[in-house]
Amino acid sequence: MQPFRLHGTRILEVDLRGGSVRAATGSMIAYDGDVTFKNAGMGGGDGLRAALKRRATGESIALMQCSGTGVVRFAKDAMEVLLVELAGDTLRAESERLLALSDGLSTDVAFAGLRGASSGQGLFTTTVSGHGVAALLSAGGPPIALEVSPQYPLVVDPDAFIASQGQLNQTFVTDVSWRTLVGEGSGEAFSLRFDGKGVVYIQPEER
Amino acid sequence: MSTPPTPLSPDTLPDNDNVPGNHYAYCVRLDGRLFMQTGRMIAYYPGPGGQPIRFEPLSSASIGGMVATRFSAPLYTRDWVVATGAGHLILGDRGYDINSYDLDDGNLTLRASNLLAFDETLELKQSIVPGFLTLIGTGKFLASSSGPVIFAEPPIRVDPQALVGWADCPSPSHHYDATWMTGFLHSAMGFLGSNSGEERQFDFTGAGTVLLQSSESGVHDPHLLRQLESQIGGLGTPGLQHLQGVIAQQLARER
Amino acid sequence: MGFTEINHKVVAADVAPGREVLARRGAMLAYTGAVGFAPVHAGQGGLGGMAGRMMSGEQVPMMVAQGTGTVYYGHRGLHVTVVELDGSGPLTVEADRLVAHDAHLQSAVVFLGSQGGLRGAVRGAVSGQGLFTTQLHGVGAAAVLSHGGTIALDVRPGVTTTVDPQAFVAHVGQVTADISLNASWRDAVGRGSGEAVQLKLTGHGTVFVQASEQKI
Repeated sequence: MQPFRLHGTRILEVDLRGGSVRAATGSMIAYDGDVTFKNAGMGGGDGLRAALKRRATGESIALMQCSGTGVVRFAKDAMEVLLVELAGDTLRAESERLLALSDGLSTDVAFAGLRGASSGQGLFTTTVSGHGVAALLSAGGPPIALEVSPQYPLVVDPDAFIASQGQLNQTFVTDVSWRTLVGEGSGEAFSLRFDGKGVVYIQPEER
Repeated sequence: MSTPPTPLSPDTLPDNDNVPGNHYAYCVRLDGRLFMQTGRMIAYYPGPGGQPIRFEPLSSASIGGMVATRFSAPLYTRDWVVATGAGHLILGDRGYDINSYDLDDGNLTLRASNLLAFDETLELKQSIVPGFLTLIGTGKFLASSSGPVIFAEPPIRVDPQALVGWADCPSPSHHYDATWMTGFLHSAMGFLGSNSGEERQFDFTGAGTVLLQSSESGVHDPHLLRQLESQIGGLGTPGLQHLQGVIAQQLARER
Repeated sequence: MGFTEINHKVVAADVAPGREVLARRGAMLAYTGAVGFAPVHAGQGGLGGMAGRMMSGEQVPMMVAQGTGTVYYGHRGLHVTVVELDGSGPLTVEADRLVAHDAHLQSAVVFLGSQGGLRGAVRGAVSGQGLFTTQLHGVGAAAVLSHGGTIALDVRPGVTTTVDPQAFVAHVGQVTADISLNASWRDAVGRGSGEAVQLKLTGHGTVFVQASEQKI
């Protein structure tokens, strides 16, 4: 596994020693040494099945494969970088908040639930699983990790959601109270509710 | 590798303080009622016992009496809700720095978009300065700023875009920079860039505190727009026609 | 002397007779004391060599602060980095990223073709930053804008640092910036056409890079 480290809070540095790393297309800002970059392909490098699923669900992802020897630096829109370690478990993430994945991790698309009980419109999310480190992005400031337990369910603004990890049940709640709170702006008319046991990562800025 | 932030829960979240290590998120320990600006809450833990926190519009009948005595800023009614119940609320605002302030039998005026929440013990009024709100009384409120807020003392002159608010000093007057105006009169460039902010500032005098930020990232201010809109009623037909011409000219220039 | 970083988005400059400050118009946030501002135009030579700017396209309206007092500068909530110039090499920065600098610094518009030959000219064209760039010479300080702040990367003999032109903010010292085409680069920087180039920095100095590909 490649050492992932942060330079400041907004830049991910990866030491490549002959290996490779996948990162969001266009996120490389500088490098030293001898490194090549190539498009990881339609499904983000996770095979045809993942690619077809992504096309069908619209949960797109654009990754590039970076290989060689040297130090590569990644960043996106001055967002803060969050490193999450995976030991065989699964992370559900907003695909736009994925910055880089160490090898040993793969991505897929999972059904996340229905948007409201009546509309029947399906919602999908990107999953990351395996053994390794995922670098995620947080807009507006450092990410916040919030614990969910049977005692403490959590309600999150979908515009602030980055990722979740653990045995969580996620539901989309549409109620008058939430709509009042969002106001007349362009915010989502539903909130995300988490029950179970796990961790939810959110960012300080509403998208 | 750096470790991710320690997961927080209602047992470890601060009661009414910034989320640890995060100037851009603030945790309110709700216990009763709070005025909140819409669109600023990013997450909340519903209180224990499954009793949900309620967010009600100011027009709601159950809180109407309290609102009538506390909130006299009709242009802003639609932007505010009252949160009722018990639990932890986490607020964020465009990645701006968030701070809490205590007002002790005082008054403080703030840019409307930078005021996030205030105690029901405080009273809110529209300021004479368009786009600003005045808080009066004793209690806590939350405000945001682009970058950490800078406290300064009069005499000082401020670009309106960089002004967060002011306390305990007289309302500002306009200051026009003579050098700047002369510079333009003598230049061939004339009107180009004459709205850069350097030709006109808010001039603060007297004793008090002025709160500054780096200028806003977007010039779009829905509050300012609404306030201007509310004033055109008093213009009469000739005034409206004149204004129409001015707006048409400005639109043509921007195109 | 020079600039004080008030926070990561605001700098303060002390202005006095003989210590005027040039800044981008609209960047003044507030001031105390007896300070006056005057627009600086092309053809009004003397102040920082503004002449020629109009023709070059490297044209950001500037103003001078004069008198005695303290001026606060910032721009649209962007991060500000103060770069000190010790005279050993110029600061090269796109004009729209230069928020303020000591007025006594010599400012010049440099045609990139004279720096990196034809390839240098191409760099300006493809990065969308124009064929011209601004250079500041002398001893003093300058404040530079970025999205989310900058990191300083060492440029030293023997190591080539390669930068995405969109993330490039400025460089200082005896540094040569050169364009290079990398077959794989298009994939790396993405966003379609015209970006299949990279900046190779060699020499001795520092390059400032932002954690974003957004322009000012």
